[in-house]
Amino acid sequence: MDVDWELIAFLVLSVFEVIGSILVVVNKRLVRAAFWLAMTLVTIGVIYLLFLSEFVFLIQILVYAGAVPVLFVFGIMLTRRKIMDEATAERGP
Amino acid sequence: MSAPLIPNLFAVCKVLTGAIIWIVQQILYALAGPVPPLKGLGDWIGSDFIVTILTWFIVVTVVVLWVSVINLFTIMWVERKLYSRLQDRYGIMISVWSLPFWPFNRTHRPTHKGMGYLQNLADGVKLIQKENITPRNADSAMFHISPVLIASSTLMVFAVLPWSSGFYVANLDLGILFILAAFSLAPLGILIAGWSANNKYTLVGGLRAAAMLLSYSIPMVLAVIALVVFTGSLNPITIVQQQDRPIVLLGTTLPIPAWYVFGPQVIGFLVFTVAMIAEMERVPFDIPEAEAELVEGWTTEYSGMRFGIVFAFKWLRMLAASALISILYLGGWSGPVFTTLSVGGIGVPIVPEEVWFVLRIYLLSAFLVWLSWSIPRVRIDQILNLGCRRLIPYSLVAILVAAGFRAIG
Repeated sequence: MDVDWELIAFLVLSVFEVIGSILVVVNKRLVRAAFWLAMTLVTIGVIYLLFLSEFVFLIQILVYAGAVPVLFVFGIMLTRRKIMDEATAERGP
Repeated sequence: MSAPLIPNLFAVCKVLTGAIIWIVQQILYALAGPVPPLKGLGDWIGSDFIVTILTWFIVVTVVVLWVSVINLFTIMWVERKLYSRLQDRYGIMISVWSLPFWPFNRTHRPTHKGMGYLQNLADGVKLIQKENITPRNADSAMFHISPVLIASSTLMVFAVLPWSSGFYVANLDLGILFILAAFSLAPLGILIAGWSANNKYTLVGGLRAAAMLLSYSIPMVLAVIALVVFTGSLNPITIVQQQDRPIVLLGTTLPIPAWYVFGPQVIGFLVFTVAMIAEMERVPFDIPEAEAELVEGWTTEYSGMRFGIVFAFKWLRMLAASALISILYLGGWSGPVFTTLSVGGIGVPIVPEEVWFVLRIYLLSAFLVWLSWSIPRVRIDQILNLGCRRLIPYSLVAILVAAGFRAIG
């Protein structure tokens, strides 16, 4: 039995990536959305690692996982949680 | 010129794994009389695949214990003892002689007159016993994920950080870049920790931490780029090997080692050191937890061992930063081996590379402690001005100088 481990790793990572990117869009709490965005970007980086391009993987971690979600959260943190909670309550029944 | 005590950590650990597996195999073979399938299990345990996997586990465990038990406790002890002496007092004095049972509770000896090494262990035991309190309106999942994110990303640094030319987990070609990438993951955890606790002090602390860490990681990376123009490699072991020789100036060999700090890279060294002090949130740049304004910064709402993790991670970052500075600019583990003893046919250097490296790390950490307990904290606008108007131009100058020297040859 010859198992193609690379294909399995790729499929697992793709599932994580797709779920993460859906959660980025669907999630109502913006900080959680930024967290899922970080997870999605890290998974994309690991897929680069699967293609044996270590440099792109590390730059992806350094720039996209280290800096981009931080900038998003930095913007979100200037708002208050209460504002978002009120917005959610208004939409309720 | 220098020699490591452990020439190959993986091979050393493989001997240990082999011994453990041999004992387990003997037990299984002894039991294989009444239970025949155990014979096959014993053979399977002895296979190369299992031995390799177990050896990797043991290598990682050895390095994690070495970093987060031995060195973390020592560096906390060094800091607490040193700043106490700087403030003209004794500092922590709980030691093994303070333990309440025989042979330590000797009546003729005062209990609190030791070196104080066990104080941090006692603090850790105390923190583990404490309750984990989550604030009422906190985002519980995020609140509990962020210490894990912070601690694991900092421990990831030590996966590629070599302690000598043989004492490392993995030797990557892009090791320095990996360390910088792992360093840059912590700000996200800090921000999430600050936001999720639903407390204005943690929020302001996290905001300041994000602004500072983001603005200081740019000159840090630029200084490393200036160095890489010079070295042509991102592998820490290669970078240290390049510094393991005396300076040759105009044909004469000077009695000065060719560390990168003695040369045109001194600008990069200064920029990198200042950026690293900011990255580990030490006192001249510790506005994320300015005790006078914010209670404890972004760590305010953590309790129990979670507070212990987010508090101890600063010392882990100090260890990693000191190690990185000494690898890049201060010659890493290069140093003279005075004599080599022969123990059972294996050459043991009397002053191995590990000793030189640990010596550099602790001297550098002591310098950082001295610095941070001597000078006051600066304001946030001064910090951002320093980062954007001073350090980034200086690091660009360092790149220019490095490129110029590279072009001349």
